[in-house]
Amino acid sequence: MIGQRSLAALALFALTGSLAGGAGAAEKTLAIGVLGPLSGGAASYGVELVRGAEIKVDEINRAGGLRVGGDVYKIKLISYDHKAQAAEAATATNKLVFQDKVKYIMGNAVGATCNAAQTITEPNKVMFSFVCWGTSNLSPEKPYSFRSMLSQWELAEPFYRWVKETHPAIKRVAAISPNDTSGKDTNTAVVKALKALGFEVAADEYYERGTKDFYPILTKILAQKPDMIDVAAAPAGEAGLILKQAMELGFKGAKGWTAGTNPFTIISVAGPEAAEGVWSPCNINVKGDHVSAAVRKFGETYEKQYGEVPGVIAVANYAAFDVFTQAMQRAGSVDTDKVLEVMTRERFETVWGPLVIGGKETYGIDRQFLYPLVISEVRGGKVVDVAQVVPAALRKK
Amino acid sequence: MPIELFVQALLNGFGLAVVYILVALGLTLIFSILEIINFAHGEFYMLGGFVTYYAFGVGGLPYLATLVLAVLAVGAAGILAERLVFRHLRGKTLNAFIVSLGLLWVLQASAQLSFGVLDKSVPSAIGGVVRVAGLVVSRERLMVILISAALIGGLYAFLKLTRTGQAMRAMAQDADAAALQGVDIELVSMLGFGIGCALAGAAGALLAPVFAVSPTMGALPVIKAFIIIIVGGMGSLPGAVLGGLLLGAVEGVGTLFMSSAAVNMLGFLMVIAILLVRPRGLLGAP
Repeated sequence: MIGQRSLAALALFALTGSLAGGAGAAEKTLAIGVLGPLSGGAASYGVELVRGAEIKVDEINRAGGLRVGGDVYKIKLISYDHKAQAAEAATATNKLVFQDKVKYIMGNAVGATCNAAQTITEPNKVMFSFVCWGTSNLSPEKPYSFRSMLSQWELAEPFYRWVKETHPAIKRVAAISPNDTSGKDTNTAVVKALKALGFEVAADEYYERGTKDFYPILTKILAQKPDMIDVAAAPAGEAGLILKQAMELGFKGAKGWTAGTNPFTIISVAGPEAAEGVWSPCNINVKGDHVSAAVRKFGETYEKQYGEVPGVIAVANYAAFDVFTQAMQRAGSVDTDKVLEVMTRERFETVWGPLVIGGKETYGIDRQFLYPLVISEVRGGKVVDVAQVVPAALRKK
Repeated sequence: MPIELFVQALLNGFGLAVVYILVALGLTLIFSILEIINFAHGEFYMLGGFVTYYAFGVGGLPYLATLVLAVLAVGAAGILAERLVFRHLRGKTLNAFIVSLGLLWVLQASAQLSFGVLDKSVPSAIGGVVRVAGLVVSRERLMVILISAALIGGLYAFLKLTRTGQAMRAMAQDADAAALQGVDIELVSMLGFGIGCALAGAAGALLAPVFAVSPTMGALPVIKAFIIIIVGGMGSLPGAVLGGLLLGAVEGVGTLFMSSAAVNMLGFLMVIAILLVRPRGLLGAP
């Protein structure tokens, strides 16, 4: 006969066993890195990358974590500031990969810093998604790298095709960008699109990041009498100063911002008068008519949390987290090779809607997130959507 | 090339040079009196910018009153820095250089934590442009040029005509002899440092509405200031003015012919040339 002590021990054992069995999936931590310029002239990019990531990570963690295979992961974000300098980006990436042991870096901006980071991420099979605009940032030699935002190669042609169709009086266009990888690649794409569409290139100029006084370079540009100035790859702070100073020097023509990731910011820097009429094919107006309910909701959450309206970079990084976490779940693993295989064969549902990964005709490999772009115009201090166009690469898919 | 383009380029260069001369004058004044090279000088420029942002941009204080406030506030910050940090390093150039680097990072990091990292736009103090014979300059920049010139003239008059100014010049020549003549070294050092920083604060306040403000805005002006005082002559106030005008002319006109990267090199090439050919600078003491 079983004694009372034995019964108690059995009950205790059973209870402990049931609790252990009920815990089910093991809870782990998945550290994900975010790189970006978090200070200096390009800080607006880095800040949006981190904030977009934070909102998605909060959603996942509040819902109990990310279930992958038999495990549940709490996501921990680790971010570093590289100040838009390649050397600092290499140092930060070293820290993320070797000290913090991350296998995913989600978010980076400024092309030269991506090149620097990739010298570490690629050999170590670290999945790296970014909004950098350097053409060489995507290539068959860099299979673990993805661009989560449309770049100049997807934007310039449809943007200038729209300019030509809707404003035929514009014949001469001047492009100005920072003097680095992103800037040079952006101006190259803009100039290529301009020439292919029959425009004259009035100027193809570069300035050093951190420049505040644009009078000297604008004096040179305005002497060429452009009909339109495209502040191309300039970040919001510098783009705003260029437009303000161009207006002071008497420029009254059209204004474009190919890499205009957040026209709301340019209005505050340039002032409503100088920003009036700026066209941007790159941003996403989270309050506009062409966005999904999911983007609108993201915009409301962002504005409530940070007191500012998000630009496309924040949305892009939020969407990137969507894609990668879905890929991990479908792969049943956080192993980057298994996740990569899923990413290259499947489509994903994101805030952009159905997301296609393409770009092979430009980069030699399908690693570019593709989605329809919206051209916006600044009118009366507000951002108004004026057209929706589809990049050529997406039309072919 | 049309002559108007050349003259416009010169005007562009001089327009900003006068403000960098203010920064350089402050730096060279501190060096001449205390023999301290203050690498944190750009952060006092930045403080002037943020005083302007909060007082004028956010608070709505009239711009000229804001300028006076910025000068006084940053001057006071300079006096505090001298009393707490630099007074024991007078004449110890290397130690002061290292300490000033530390102060630079402390002030910059504190500004990032306090003010945030993003650029902050300051409304224009005065709108509109002035056009004369094909040349264009904004009214705002014209005001900056005139006020900077007035401050430079005021500094010159202060140093020439007032007892305190003369005491500063005496200290710059020979501190021991000045002390023997009854100059209060502690007081003059403190005032000299304060005035030097106040000039940087004034420059920051003048350019805040033109360029926006950020915690790292002091980096470029202090580099320009160093170029100016090396070319003009360390410790020479007329040298700083000449060096600034030369730098402004070279960079303004250089942009017409070269890329921005090449233009940025010109100032450093001037420094190398001066150090090789005339190390004391154009108007520095032998």
